[in-house]
Amino acid sequence: MRKFASAATWICLFLGLSSLVWAESDIKLPVASPFTGQLATFGEGVKNGAELKASEINAAGGINGRSIAISLEDELCDPKEATNVATRLAGDQQVSIVIGHLCSSASLAALPIYRKAKLPAISPASTNPQLGKSSPYYFRNVYKDDFQGAFLARYISEALGWKKVAIFFETNDYSMGLKSAFVEEARKQKVRIVGEEAYTSETTDFTPQLSKFRMLRPDAIFIPGYAPQGTLIISQARKLGLNVGFYGADGLDDEIMLGNPDAEGLLVTTPFLPDGAGPEASGFIEAYRKRFGKEPNWFAANTYDAVGIAARAIEKVGTDREKIREYLASMNSPERGYHGITGLTVFDENGDCLKAAFVKTIRKGQWVSAEKQIK
Amino acid sequence: MQGGLKLRVFIEEHPRSAAALFLAAAALLPWLPMGGATDYVVRVATLTLLYMVLAVGLNFVPGFTGLLDLGFVGFYGVGAYTAGLLMVQYNLSFWIALPAAALHSALWGILRAAPTLRLTGDYFAIVTFGFSELVVLVIRNELWLTRGPMGIPGIEAPMLFGYALNRDWEYFYLMLALLFAVVGISRRLEDSRVGRAWFAIREDEIAAEACGIHIARHKTLAFAVSAAIGGAAGAFYAGWFHFLHPDMFKFWESILVLCLIVLGGMGSITGVMLGAAILIPLTEVLRVGLGRLVEWTEQTGLDWISPDIVNARYLIFGLLLVIMMRVRPAGLFPTVGVTFEMHPACERTRRQLDENRYAHETRENRHALD
Amino acid sequence: MDLQYLVDSLSLFFQQFVNGLTVGGVYALIAVGYTMVYGVIELINFAHGEIYMLGAFIAYHLVTVYHVPFFAAVVLTVMLCGLFGILLDRAAYRPLRNAPRLAALITAIGASIFLQNVALIKWGAQIRSFPQTSLPSFFGKTAFQAGDVQIGWLQVFMLLVTFVLMLVLHAIINHTRTGTAMRAIAQDKRTAALMGIHVDRIISFTFAIGSSLGAVAGILVGVFYNALWPTMGYTAGVKAFAAAVLGGIGSVPGAMLGGVVLGVAEVFGAGYISSAYRDGIAYAVMILVILFKPSGILGKSTVQKV
Repeated sequence: MRKFASAATWICLFLGLSSLVWAESDIKLPVASPFTGQLATFGEGVKNGAELKASEINAAGGINGRSIAISLEDELCDPKEATNVATRLAGDQQVSIVIGHLCSSASLAALPIYRKAKLPAISPASTNPQLGKSSPYYFRNVYKDDFQGAFLARYISEALGWKKVAIFFETNDYSMGLKSAFVEEARKQKVRIVGEEAYTSETTDFTPQLSKFRMLRPDAIFIPGYAPQGTLIISQARKLGLNVGFYGADGLDDEIMLGNPDAEGLLVTTPFLPDGAGPEASGFIEAYRKRFGKEPNWFAANTYDAVGIAARAIEKVGTDREKIREYLASMNSPERGYHGITGLTVFDENGDCLKAAFVKTIRKGQWVSAEKQIK
Repeated sequence: MQGGLKLRVFIEEHPRSAAALFLAAAALLPWLPMGGATDYVVRVATLTLLYMVLAVGLNFVPGFTGLLDLGFVGFYGVGAYTAGLLMVQYNLSFWIALPAAALHSALWGILRAAPTLRLTGDYFAIVTFGFSELVVLVIRNELWLTRGPMGIPGIEAPMLFGYALNRDWEYFYLMLALLFAVVGISRRLEDSRVGRAWFAIREDEIAAEACGIHIARHKTLAFAVSAAIGGAAGAFYAGWFHFLHPDMFKFWESILVLCLIVLGGMGSITGVMLGAAILIPLTEVLRVGLGRLVEWTEQTGLDWISPDIVNARYLIFGLLLVIMMRVRPAGLFPTVGVTFEMHPACERTRRQLDENRYAHETRENRHALD
Repeated sequence: MDLQYLVDSLSLFFQQFVNGLTVGGVYALIAVGYTMVYGVIELINFAHGEIYMLGAFIAYHLVTVYHVPFFAAVVLTVMLCGLFGILLDRAAYRPLRNAPRLAALITAIGASIFLQNVALIKWGAQIRSFPQTSLPSFFGKTAFQAGDVQIGWLQVFMLLVTFVLMLVLHAIINHTRTGTAMRAIAQDKRTAALMGIHVDRIISFTFAIGSSLGAVAGILVGVFYNALWPTMGYTAGVKAFAAAVLGGIGSVPGAMLGGVVLGVAEVFGAGYISSAYRDGIAYAVMILVILFKPSGILGKSTVQKV
């Protein structure tokens, strides 16, 4: 019956627990992302990327002698949990910058809280175009959906010469943002969209939509979604005898594609190319493989860089929140930008980043850069 | 066990004092010295109050009329989006959007009543589930209306006497006021003719009808009130979060609110609130607790505990849910004296309650004789 | 031109129908587990979807880690999941046999959350797939091809397995002593006990059968879609529950029919109306059916006596 002790007990527990203090010497760097629940698969890359960068920094002596302590803040991509996490971090004076969030919906929910607390945050993965404009404290080192969608439309028209395309999108903001930017640019490039079909994140069977696509005989199918569904879509399409090209955005850039023999020839945009990237990036890939036994995906790569940016900011201006924000905002030109494994990161006046996109493809179960790249 | 019973007897015998005590305790919460954690604790407490409102709202259908409703999140979503869109598109004040959201949800509650009136048990449950899934799909897919998965950002803060609410504790008090109103309405209805009619329907629909109770009208009323409360909670949510997204209204929310009321003790208003008070902060308590545990293991060098244990929050949540139901199968605050849940577990509580009261009364009488 | 269009449309229609049957077959297999447990103890076993998921993962684990041959792994998994069902009943549901129905429902939800997170911690969140080399080679081959319509052997195998299992189940329920006992318990638990039926043992048996079927469904789906992940049970479980209710909860043929109706409605909805409303269309069909048949397609409409 002690369970009856109700709210009061819980609150007391809260107080007791939160009064303990963090070891003084470490710089606390929270990473907010889904680590459990349906979208945990994306959080895995975020976690690995952050831990890898932090341990590299610490091994090299930390930031001005203090080491970084990554704390994982699980929010399941649930906006409600994201705001709880954000409020908790905002109230913690030892937190001077946050890495996160992953989903745009979580980012948009948490954003008013960070703005109010004047706490800067760098999202490695939220691509919703609205985000940057909404708060001066929100930065991201991932390109926006509208840039990538338009880039893809230009790529297939200029580099591949495909003229008939079907779009298979997920009903989320990432996918639909990409789709609308793609459609707009495709019109300019005279690429015909022969069909558009939707699916939800919970779908496992894509045959009805794919059967419909087969009737329309497109040159290629554009999948502006995520890899877990993307790999299923490609396999099921091949099973239905749909022999067309497939291409997608960075959402499809994931190791699971390599395990799928049907995905041979898949084209995706990516912020960094493993074989074409500089020595730093190949070092990252090497270290990542060694530590986690798998290929890094773009979540890992972007988070790795986001931690790098945060660390540099703290190194330069200390742990004052406002000063960090000013520092990040001042990273607005190539000279002041951050050279990471995903290339040069430069923030514009909205805190959005301008970054080059590349195209890579799968050959014999390995990612290689596509023959043709466009600017 | 005894402490719980005493608490229960106290609440039942002095409802006003209990309410006053609860309010006083709640009102003090934001002013306790908690350092940097104040906002966080107050936010989680506000969330708990929000779920108390939702639990009291859902309670009208399964608790009062005995029908398993798996679609409550639909009304919550309708209310939130109604309020959010009115505030963003038409620049209406929160205080107009709130009742509008409640009325709009109530309308859907009434519309839903038409096809479901003659359904019982799991058929009712699955139709309510299907209905709410349809609502959420409309929210997700009708971009012209709701902007779908782009969400609705930038919802203005509610104004109170020309002042825009800004701090966490201000929302906490606003939520407390809403809860107070909702519990007041709920209590009034529970003790009214309508309430008795609902209980009669819950116990035995046919007998109730034979006694002249208009089944359709009473069920529809219960659905409407329940939906309106869900809608009001949704409107508050929109004003508090300044942002809406279809992902906020997943089926899981319906399940969660159901868990609250069953754990608390279905049919009992105090019980369902207690359910919320325990389950809603639980995931956050586990978050903080497991985080501290990891720190502690790092300091003491107990490396057999993996730092990944912080991700076991929901695992423990599920386990605790199972254990709590096993320890208190009729809920923490079982409704007594109803055949609907007349099971050994309830029976035991009832007997203890009676004995307790009896002892209490004899003691009083003895004093009187002295 | 017009003829071509007609042929195309017809072949699309048949293709969609086959797609629908496949999806529906899976729902049916899971739904049967739901409905059996429900029939006997009136519990909506929300954790059933998680058993389906565990089935897929255990088979995967056996195949990839212990290199057990595929069919042996299937048999082992089915047995393990059967045992697991019994264990779940013992640990979580049996103590609540006399408690209010909803208490058991919440317990089932708790168990479901628990199991999902166990799998998440054990196997990680990312999607896994059976290595192609571990699967029988005929799975990948095309069985029939007529014009554009294409049906793989795996699809045939799935439908066949579903069908055979249903026949076996039907035989067990209607032609064995245990089956008779199950039906007796479904009718009246207390009287059944008075007639000398060991109620708890029969309930355990029901859980074992239901969970085994769930495991089979999990493996089939894992192989067919070539993907398994820890939260796969959640959506499938919800759909299967809808299918079970649609068919008339407690009725085994009803669950099969409900699964197929739901699957076909979903696929035709996505193929012909709107893929964004795919699940919505399935649920709308479900609601319509229940409105006309308030106790499901094959459910007995109980006449309430006063």
